[in-house]
Amino acid sequence: MTDDVKVADKTDSLTDLKETDEDLRLPSVVEPAHFPVETIDTEARHQTPAVGQRATRPDGRLHGLGQTKYIDDITFPNMLFAKMKRAGISSALIKSIDTSEAEAMPGVAAVLTGREIPVNSYGPSYQDQPVLADERVFHAGDPVAAVAAVTEQIAEEACERIKVEYEPLEPVYDPVEAMKDEIRVHPPHSNIYATKRIKKGDLEKGFAEADHIFEGVYSTQMIEHVPLEPHASIAQWDPNGRVTLWSSLGRITLGRADIARTLDMPINKIRIVGTIVGGNFGGKNEITTEPALALLSRKTGRPVKMVYTREEEFIASTTRHPFIMEYKTGVTKDGMITARKVRLVLDGGAYCSWSETTLGKACILSAGPYNIENLLAEAYCMYTNKTMAGAMRGFGAPQVCFAYESQMDEIAHKLGIDPLELRMKNAFHEGSASPTGQVLQSVVVKDSLEKAAERFGWKEDGQ
Amino acid sequence: MKKRGKGMGCMWYPIGFTVMANPSAATVKVNEDGTATLITGTVETGQGSLTVLGQIAAEELGISTDDVHVVSADTDATPMDTGAIASRTTYVTGNAIQLAAEKAKNILFDVAAPMLGVRPDQLEAKDRRIQVKGFPQSCLPIGEVAAHAQNGAGTPALGSASYNPPTVAMDPETGQGKPFSTYVYATQIAEVEVDEETGEVEVLRIAAAHDCGTAINPMLVEGQIQGGISMGVGMAIQEEMLFDDEGRQINPNLTNYIMPTSLDMPDLEVDIVENFDPTGPFGAKGVGEPTAVATSAAICNAIYDAVGARIYNLPATAEKVLAAIKSKDHSDRQKYLPAG
Repeated sequence: MTDDVKVADKTDSLTDLKETDEDLRLPSVVEPAHFPVETIDTEARHQTPAVGQRATRPDGRLHGLGQTKYIDDITFPNMLFAKMKRAGISSALIKSIDTSEAEAMPGVAAVLTGREIPVNSYGPSYQDQPVLADERVFHAGDPVAAVAAVTEQIAEEACERIKVEYEPLEPVYDPVEAMKDEIRVHPPHSNIYATKRIKKGDLEKGFAEADHIFEGVYSTQMIEHVPLEPHASIAQWDPNGRVTLWSSLGRITLGRADIARTLDMPINKIRIVGTIVGGNFGGKNEITTEPALALLSRKTGRPVKMVYTREEEFIASTTRHPFIMEYKTGVTKDGMITARKVRLVLDGGAYCSWSETTLGKACILSAGPYNIENLLAEAYCMYTNKTMAGAMRGFGAPQVCFAYESQMDEIAHKLGIDPLELRMKNAFHEGSASPTGQVLQSVVVKDSLEKAAERFGWKEDGQ
Repeated sequence: MKKRGKGMGCMWYPIGFTVMANPSAATVKVNEDGTATLITGTVETGQGSLTVLGQIAAEELGISTDDVHVVSADTDATPMDTGAIASRTTYVTGNAIQLAAEKAKNILFDVAAPMLGVRPDQLEAKDRRIQVKGFPQSCLPIGEVAAHAQNGAGTPALGSASYNPPTVAMDPETGQGKPFSTYVYATQIAEVEVDEETGEVEVLRIAAAHDCGTAINPMLVEGQIQGGISMGVGMAIQEEMLFDDEGRQINPNLTNYIMPTSLDMPDLEVDIVENFDPTGPFGAKGVGEPTAVATSAAICNAIYDAVGARIYNLPATAEKVLAAIKSKDHSDRQKYLPAG
């Protein structure tokens, strides 16, 4: 192939030069468009009335054609890339952080530590989480410093050259152990940082009316949201002292207030643009790296981007709370529930995040969609030196549903009642009073039971 | 030997925040040609919410989904929104949008009334027309009215509104109160096959019947249910974050953290339970989170039905199921007591 390439030399005439130039030009055929230019709309998008139509999503077409721009696809001139140094130790005091070697590296534009953050704490309920840990590490995924560099690789290497001296502290990982408060995650505060109680009717009377009493302990695991797109943000500090953040955050209004608080800035100097999010499931409901990126952008005068690696998505973002659930239920021989006592222990990990909400919803929902006149539900949320748990699709409901529905099944089998029948007997109806005494409306539990049973063919093979 | 079993899970789930205010605001503008622009502070997180919210604005204005363009998620330009959380977008943001669209529509009615020789309250918006109730032949194209509102009357058709679900605080001692405005209900039934020799569980099919009030877009509701079930399958039999003795995660990657792929998904039979909630936009409630709630219970109950082994500790991995099959006496975890 190289033989075909003509190279101009001093003896070439103007014509020869022109020919050479033509030969070296890029192909004259323009590359085809990356997507079909004709738009295809479903009829449903054009029909009235609009409600009830199976209208297709305009963003679905962009996703399908690979044209959606996620933060990883967005670039600005002179943009820097940030990485964070993770503690790797679950409970410790930070004695010193030496960033000099990282700062001296070619390609490193700035290094940031927690002491440079105006208000180094955040959180949706309690502000117990540092943007960058400065005095103490609460779990192994805590960030202790951030680096902005011309490439991600240089930023990562610079993180490795940051030297942190720790004084290890006794950790606590088990939520039941944490309840004893012998080792405190956030001293002087108790590990039991949130509680909830729902009480209705007369529990003793309810159990006395029962023919059978069932007791069980159920537990669930820690789960990660695993969105396809990890947490990602770009910060751009402008010469007027305003900062714009393109972020995968799912709640931009409250995120803006949180960022204003950490940066000690007026809200109107902060703009958040919520980009198309590649999956949230509750994991992107609070700020993460945004304040650090904003400050790195201010330090460098350049846009700064950070995208979590998959590992960071696991170790540094929120998770689903592990639950330990004690259930005691009294039933008559006909299968009517007379009383239920529930005790929930939530492992909240190192920070509160959305634990209060999870605890509350789990407690309210813990009795199940059933008419139970005598009820006591108590829930406790614990700090431990592990990755923090937070909001995740269902806020504690999947955990308690596993417990109350497993126990319903045990009751059905012991009493020889069809599981469908047992649920139909006890299920809420229009006007039922909930565990909090709320009169319920538009209640269709029984309809859903019947519809699912019919679709599945529940009765066909004879229970 | 492989054995099959069936099991069910039934659930309820609230819409919106627990007691705490979680408002949304929205602005709807009707353009001079009768198309509209909806401005909302919520974020599209993959669930199709912007399409559903556009449908709500369209319905109120009597135009189609495609006639509404949705602008979202810029704190400099869009009104406040509590965001994509707590299964609240369709219900709370949707209510705000319906109210905002109604205000824009009322401007159109005020302008159209003298043109049609009736009172504004005698008008309705339907099929891209402003028409007299009961006399649909007496009508004007919505674009003509919108153009006249802007260029003739000088009152461009736009409206802004906000909504916050009504709640009553809970008593700190007893928890009595009205923490949520409304709830949804659902049942899922699973069929599984359990290998008695290895403890491995295969989820064969799941029938899911979900209430979401009015399904503004049934296709997107079905999509939410299918996606939620995949998370439920992972919770039931696969996913678990593990830590070493020093509090460090040992499987923070997709090689060792096992979650369902399309190959693990059972056959899904999805039904939407017909319902109408008078407090929701056009009767709608929500659907996002509840879809992932009942799955693990249904699967574990099906495992019990198949092999008589009760799982008390999720996930029901092959190791745990096998151990439970081998020791059918699980009196250590489960007590059955006659009432004293």
